[in-house]
Amino acid sequence: MASLGELERSIMERLWSTTSALSAPELRDTLRDGELALTTIYTVLARLEDKGFVEHDESRPRRFRASASRAEHAASVMSDVLAHASDRDAVLTRFIDTVSAEEARLLRRLLRTRPEVLKPDKG
Amino acid sequence: MSAVAAALAVLAALLAWPVPALLRRARWPQRDPVVALLLWQSIGLSGGLSLIGAPLVYGLTPWGASFPAAMRALLTGTGDADPGLRYLVALVLAAAIAVRLLSVLLRSTVTIARVRARQRGLLATVASPGTDPRTLLVDVADLVAFCIPGDRPMIVLSEGLVSELDEAETAAVIAHENAHLTERHHLYLLPFVAWRQALPWLPGTNLAHTAVHDLVEMHADDVAARTAGRRTLAHALARTGAAAVPRGSLAVHAGPTTTRATRLLQDPRPLPPRVRLMMLASAAALLLAPTGLLLLAGK
Repeated sequence: MASLGELERSIMERLWSTTSALSAPELRDTLRDGELALTTIYTVLARLEDKGFVEHDESRPRRFRASASRAEHAASVMSDVLAHASDRDAVLTRFIDTVSAEEARLLRRLLRTRPEVLKPDKG
Repeated sequence: MSAVAAALAVLAALLAWPVPALLRRARWPQRDPVVALLLWQSIGLSGGLSLIGAPLVYGLTPWGASFPAAMRALLTGTGDADPGLRYLVALVLAAAIAVRLLSVLLRSTVTIARVRARQRGLLATVASPGTDPRTLLVDVADLVAFCIPGDRPMIVLSEGLVSELDEAETAAVIAHENAHLTERHHLYLLPFVAWRQALPWLPGTNLAHTAVHDLVEMHADDVAARTAGRRTLAHALARTGAAAVPRGSLAVHAGPTTTRATRLLQDPRPLPPRVRLMMLASAAALLLAPTGLLLLAGK
């Protein structure tokens, strides 16, 4: 049995790949031979609505669509997550901190003027 | 005021500003981030202990000149039955500082765990598995890499980073993030995050937090460089930094990223064993000083 996380992903993949809204039974039928319980689908859809990824209309049965495109969701999650990193509050550690314009210039110069940087370590 | 309370107050004052300022300015931590990290931990712990200990011992003066003597007098019911107001104020202050430090530490631990869980959930939905089994890929053009530590650690890379860096550089970035996770760097940072929140008016707390943050990055660089190579990692750093979108930038000095890249390229020589030993001894002495003053002095 797949985790709820994996199901969330599969359902989002399905919703991102279509422009039309889909009902829970329609979603079930497109997922892994329709073997999942409808209640499971509704649970996952409710979780996705809580996270702001999905919205539904008022038809019966309710039909669901992605609230934004895949790229828009990815961008908004990233900026949400990284907003917590900006004040260095130990929630996550970034490979590099936000870089000032001056520092970006310094780093570009480092890459230009130190050609040995470009050499691989071995061979 | 008893000599013990005075000594603890002096120690607390030294650790609140001059010692952190000195260590932050020193050059040697770049050469041995691990020893420097240990020293910062003991500065933090010793600072907290003496900050609580000074008013505590002072407040207990009516019962005895030292902590053990006062406790003995309190337990046996001897000593001054009517302590002056200033001693009671000192005792309340000691309790307030202790409660504040511990409660903020507890609260940030809980808050951070909650935020992490929420972010893991959001990322798991929009990310796809990367080629490396430990990583997730998010489809954004910016060059971004980070890890979320905790029960279910997660390394996240952006598609932009993976397509801009070559394979060896991407592996170096993953090795760096993986080092944060295996070395449990978030635990080194946690007390400093909490103390900066608890005592924002102490300049040393902000300084210590920034220093520990930078040292943890350097340590992860060192661990990653062992497998990925120093130049490859330096290159990954420089390219990621050079491509970063500058935001709110006023700083005109070399930031931590440049320092890290230069440091990797220059490969600073390790600290001489004598200096290393001296620093480790200082870390131990810093921890023993307030403990000794509290428990042993004036027995």
